[in-house]
Amino acid sequence: MTVALTLPERLDTSAAPELADTLAAELGQDIEIDAAPVTHLGALCLQVLLSAAKTWAARGQSLTISNINDTMAGQLTLFGVTPDHLGGPRE
Amino acid sequence: MSLSILAVDDSQTIRNMLNMTLTDAGFSTRLAEDGLKGLEVLENNSFDAIITDINMPNLDGFGFIDAVRAQERFRSIPILVLTTEVAPELKARARDAGATGWVVKPFDPPKLVRALQLVAG
Amino acid sequence: MADNTDAMAEIRASFFTECEELLESLQDGLDAVWNETSDEETINVIFRAVHSVKGGAGAFGLTQLVDFAHRYETALDEVRAGKLVPEGEVLKLFFRAADILSDLLQAAKEDGELDPATFEEVLSGLAALAGGEEEEEEALDFQPLILDIGDETPQLAELPGELPPGLPPLSGPAEGEGDAQGDSGGHIYFAAEKELFLNGNEPLYLFRALADLTELTSRCNMDDLPDLSDLDPAVCHLSWDLTTGADIDAAAVAEVFEFVEGLCTFRHRLPEPELPELPALPELPVLPGAPDTAVGAGADGEPGVAPAPDAGAPPQASDAPAPKLSTDQDAKAPAAPKAGAQKPAPAKPNPTIRVDLERVDRLVNLVGELVINQAMLSQSVTEVDMPPNAAITKGLDEFMQLTRSLQDSVMRIRAQPVKALFQRMGRIVREVATEVNKNVLLKTEGETTEVDKTVIERLADPLTHMIRNAVDHGLESTEARLAAGKPERGTVTLTAGHRSGRVVIEISDDGAGINRPKVRQIAIDKKLIEETAELSDSDIDMLLFMPGFSTASEVSNLSGRGVGMDVVKTAIQALGGRVSITSTPGQGTCFSISLPLTLAVLDGMVVEAAGQALVLPLNVIEETMTVEAAMLGEMGRETQVLRIREGFAPLLDLGTEMGFRTPLESYLDHVALLIAHEDGSRSALVVDRIVDQRQVVIKGLQNTFGQIPGVAAATILGDGQIALILDPLDITMNASGRTRQPSLSLAG
Repeated sequence: MTVALTLPERLDTSAAPELADTLAAELGQDIEIDAAPVTHLGALCLQVLLSAAKTWAARGQSLTISNINDTMAGQLTLFGVTPDHLGGPRE
Repeated sequence: MSLSILAVDDSQTIRNMLNMTLTDAGFSTRLAEDGLKGLEVLENNSFDAIITDINMPNLDGFGFIDAVRAQERFRSIPILVLTTEVAPELKARARDAGATGWVVKPFDPPKLVRALQLVAG
Repeated sequence: MADNTDAMAEIRASFFTECEELLESLQDGLDAVWNETSDEETINVIFRAVHSVKGGAGAFGLTQLVDFAHRYETALDEVRAGKLVPEGEVLKLFFRAADILSDLLQAAKEDGELDPATFEEVLSGLAALAGGEEEEEEALDFQPLILDIGDETPQLAELPGELPPGLPPLSGPAEGEGDAQGDSGGHIYFAAEKELFLNGNEPLYLFRALADLTELTSRCNMDDLPDLSDLDPAVCHLSWDLTTGADIDAAAVAEVFEFVEGLCTFRHRLPEPELPELPALPELPVLPGAPDTAVGAGADGEPGVAPAPDAGAPPQASDAPAPKLSTDQDAKAPAAPKAGAQKPAPAKPNPTIRVDLERVDRLVNLVGELVINQAMLSQSVTEVDMPPNAAITKGLDEFMQLTRSLQDSVMRIRAQPVKALFQRMGRIVREVATEVNKNVLLKTEGETTEVDKTVIERLADPLTHMIRNAVDHGLESTEARLAAGKPERGTVTLTAGHRSGRVVIEISDDGAGINRPKVRQIAIDKKLIEETAELSDSDIDMLLFMPGFSTASEVSNLSGRGVGMDVVKTAIQALGGRVSITSTPGQGTCFSISLPLTLAVLDGMVVEAAGQALVLPLNVIEETMTVEAAMLGEMGRETQVLRIREGFAPLLDLGTEMGFRTPLESYLDHVALLIAHEDGSRSALVVDRIVDQRQVVIKGLQNTFGQIPGVAAATILGDGQIALILDPLDITMNASGRTRQPSLSLAG
């Protein structure tokens, strides 16, 4: 079964613990993350997403992230991270 | 990008300048005249960023930043320190209090706006 | 920006208004130190005042003001730091600096500057106090610099497009990253500490600022990234290698990272063709002496390991701020009782608006009309003979009360506290004290007393003169004081207060008191009085106000400015005021000025002469009496005198002087008003009868009719009649004096 998760607008420092908890709760499931609402992605939330992608990959399960908007794409570029690092879009 | 900014300064002149600069930049701006007033405004409002003076009566900038950071919901709000004093130890104190950055008074309006966009965008 | 010009002009105007308040608190603070009533907060208030002037002045490019305020502030900071004690010469210098600051502001307000020579001495004095070394360096601080960015401010949305596509792969070896961009670029290694985030900071901001400066390529190191289950989301396990363009300016980069100094590991290697193969690797320790710009604890090596920032303790999230808040308040608590009553008032200035004075005056005028209208209405109702408890009578009473309180409130708009005026006097006292080498303390009381703005403005000169007099003549020399067993430091006290509907301002000193035998002798020498004149003590005291009187035997350069106390008296009378003196030998002298609350309302006497209602200001009328035959004496062809006790006063017929009629056959049983002149002489102004004594609303005539001799203004009486308000001094001084028909010549 695949879990669908939509990210909040602001993934700032204070959002990181909750994001980590939310994702950790889905460990063991395939997950589809919708990034459409994101307007701000901070380093700590980026780290959570990267860690999740790595963890899911290590367990051979599917984690995909889709609908990366231009704002978030720009922020990822500044961080030197590509959508692939995050699990990439399914397409 | 419309940001909401809280600007705290005890000088009416600087508050006027900030108000004009920030409003012109399309930000929604609230002003407060010292740290205590700033905290009051924060009670019932949320902001994308705060600009504060250091030297103020009642509650100075250091105390204000401290008190803001003490609240869970403001843990990560960007706070820029606005001051004519740029002595290294003052910057260090502001940083230790939890400031995100600093802007030198007199400020250059486009630069101030850009600084806010950088930290709160 | 064009539409901001007006806004800027307005902000600039408000800056000068604000500065007046700042100078006031600066002066208050210095006075408190001088009077030894200061507390720990005082120096902070003083410092903040100067600091705020500097901040605002900087915004308007008032460099002379900024530079001076900066020096002043630096010296004050020494006091704040406890390295300098504000007393003696230091304090005097601070006072002078405050005066200069005020002068500089005034000059700046008029778009000018002061001649630097006028304050050079003070400036170097301040510099000496501050140690004087760091000036050059400090001057640099006035550039607006921040997370510094070029003048171009690209919109964030454009940023992604500017960055080269095709980022380096995630997990390959870091070596050779720089090559992708060519060796001309600079390299930055960056890793964030936990504390960086606690300050609301964010690597994203820093990268954005860098991207504003240069073409930026980022590579994220994720090697240390733990599994999600092991991840502490508050700690950043990522680090970055950033490649910048060749155009990068090291100082600009350092500035970007300046505020996260100690909160991150940051190393910057400048573009350096000679060392192309030096990889920007986290694993590499910094080469000492290499062209690296290293900031932060990580520069010591061990990048990636948490540096121990010297002051880097994270803000104690929950407990620290609370005590901080309370200590702040605690610190203020002991201050309050010490500072006494004056403290609460200035502490919380009420919000204010700036209103054009003209609008206020128009309002004052309209309310004046309303008062008159109400009086007329009341009068006509009285005339129709209503039953005393008729609803309309009651309603009119309430209407009258409302009108009165409306009038009071409107008058109060024009009222200002005398504080600013008193503070100017502080400066005068210090200046004079220095010139005559006396140690003088100025005490002020009742500074919040409010007086009409115009009265305050016109009071400045007379008050200045009286203060100079008090310091120069009132107080004894230091030696004389010590000899008399008095404290070395003389005290001049300036008080203001309300007393029975008037404002009373008193200038008192604890000097030797008026030397009456000497004053009397001078008056005799100057032929102001007869040698045989019998004068009471208060008569002698009043001699000081006579024109031509001056304690000339030892006129110092201060008082001999051609301004005598007679001018003071005239100026105060012109304001509808009175001045009186009390003096006790050995204990001091007190000058008391009593002023009307406002210039818009006058205490007047309504009289009738030749069928005309006229109003005379009450304060110049010394006495009223009915003319009796025994009092009249003829003098010359057309004039008479009135014999009043020991003296004579020329008899003047108001009706004749105003040109309403020719002299009457007889003035018997008419009313004579004794008008006191500044020189102590008197005139008897004859009127037909006294109608009333009441407050009248002054309506200016000068705008319409220009200056009319003998007429000060006009008013409208309750019955709708217009009455002129006269200037009796002007009338008596220019009087024809004709009170008799010349017995012969009707032809002339």
